[in-house]
Amino acid sequence: MSESTTTLRAPAREVPLFSIRRVWTLAISTLTQLVRMKTFYFLFAFAVLLLAIGNFNFASSPAQALSTVKKVSFGAMDLFAWLFAIVATALLIPRDLEDRTLYTILSKPVRRIEYLLGKLCGVLIVIGISLSVMFVVCAGMIQWKEAGYIAEEIGTTENQITEETRQAILLIQKNGFHPELAIATLASFMKAAVVASVTILLSTFASSSLFTIIISVLVFLVGHAHTMATNFWLAESDNSIVVQMLLKLFKIVIPNFQIFSFSEGIVQGATVMPAAIWQMAGLTGAYLVVFMLLSLLTFVDKEF
Amino acid sequence: MKALFQKTPRWILVVLGLAIFGLARASFEDRMREEMVASSLLLPPPARDAIQQMSQSALMGTLGGLRTLVSSYLVLEAFGHFSNKEWEDLRRSYAIITSLEPRDENHWRDVVWHLGINATANMEIDESIPEFERKRRFNEYALLAVDLAEQGIEQNPESSIIRQQLAEVYREKLKDYCATARVYKELVDLPGAPQYSDRFVGYFLAKCPGREREAYDHLRRLYYEGEYNHTASLIVEIKNLEEKFDILPALRIPDPYPDLPGPAPRQP
Repeated sequence: MSESTTTLRAPAREVPLFSIRRVWTLAISTLTQLVRMKTFYFLFAFAVLLLAIGNFNFASSPAQALSTVKKVSFGAMDLFAWLFAIVATALLIPRDLEDRTLYTILSKPVRRIEYLLGKLCGVLIVIGISLSVMFVVCAGMIQWKEAGYIAEEIGTTENQITEETRQAILLIQKNGFHPELAIATLASFMKAAVVASVTILLSTFASSSLFTIIISVLVFLVGHAHTMATNFWLAESDNSIVVQMLLKLFKIVIPNFQIFSFSEGIVQGATVMPAAIWQMAGLTGAYLVVFMLLSLLTFVDKEF
Repeated sequence: MKALFQKTPRWILVVLGLAIFGLARASFEDRMREEMVASSLLLPPPARDAIQQMSQSALMGTLGGLRTLVSSYLVLEAFGHFSNKEWEDLRRSYAIITSLEPRDENHWRDVVWHLGINATANMEIDESIPEFERKRRFNEYALLAVDLAEQGIEQNPESSIIRQQLAEVYREKLKDYCATARVYKELVDLPGAPQYSDRFVGYFLAKCPGREREAYDHLRRLYYEGEYNHTASLIVEIKNLEEKFDILPALRIPDPYPDLPGPAPRQP
């Protein structure tokens, strides 16, 4: 009897320490989970906002109108990206706990780091898809408006294009669509990725989604006001040593989100420096690695 | 070591990890920030005055990295002030807008246009205000527009649109033709400058007392530069200056007075 049992038992398969496939599976299931939460409905709101801002007739010139459309739409994209990164990431772990999906996942040969990475990747995929769709819609809108304004300028001239018309067209083109705007979208994505990794770290500590969301938003605001607050407080306190120490502490503990806001400069027409973009991508990667490792530190032996 | 790791509360380890990472990245981030501010990729922090003037919501928006959205909203608000001829409110709105986005030349151009052209025009016709007050405010707005244009040029040294607007204020409102010529001269070599800038330097130098000879030489040089400069205005201006300086017939330009709309030109 015992002999037959021994022969039937298959040898236990060795579970690899880390598997990209498992992370991918978790990312896709997170993506499905977020799609079921109707997160992509935000895109309709974005389209309505674009249409509204495109039809406001408040600008002093076509160039100013185009500049406003660009700023509002890219500002809205940035806002969506970081806000979504906070809310979605803060909701995921508590929801898995509530649905008891977390127990099912962690009882399988899935490492906790794979679980955290899967969740982060899922959120980033949704943000990536949304930003890409918004970028395409926005680019279409800007190009359409730009073409309309140029046609209007040409239409006002009777025979040949005058010097003034040529200047007006150049100004419209300067404020219109540029391929570099894709880099501005990438900048918003990088910022959202860092925000999501910070939120994951907080959600491994937190007891509720609400707490995570509030603290993440606070960290984001403080992280965004680094330089501004530093200058302001130092001037207000006459460079007090206590304030200086406090600011140093803030600076090293809270991520500096302000440097991830370079999409604003690109939207306003600043020249994109490839080296700076690569360095920022590297910094984003460093943030993701460090915050995932710190999240793992608290999540690895957390009892549920 | 393992026992120590297990005994230490996790939050202490996390804070320690954050601090080590923070120390490692701080200098890199400072350098990156400086480079990106220098290359206009990042906006410099708003001035203290602007922070103190901001409403709570605008300040929160700015803190939240929504400077462009906040400034777009304020532009809308400023347009409302323009429609209602609330020039002081418009000035306050633009003080914040230009502080939030100092490198957007459109904002500077717009505030110079609003105050230098629209507000001054309003002061010329608004009969609800006593005349002496209208004159005082006319001057105040025109000079304020000049001051703002200069601040804008300081922030955007290559801007041609701010200079074009400044030249219009000098030309149409302050009637300071020497300053107009100076601004057009600054414009000439800038990217995006209108082709007429160089001709305008001559036209307004001609109206600047004591610099008429300089204007004549400048316009003559432009005339002989190429046929594309043989515009009616340029020819008329040269011919007027030839008369003024009593230039020898052999040295005068060959063109006759062109037919221009309006009153007949002075004949030799």
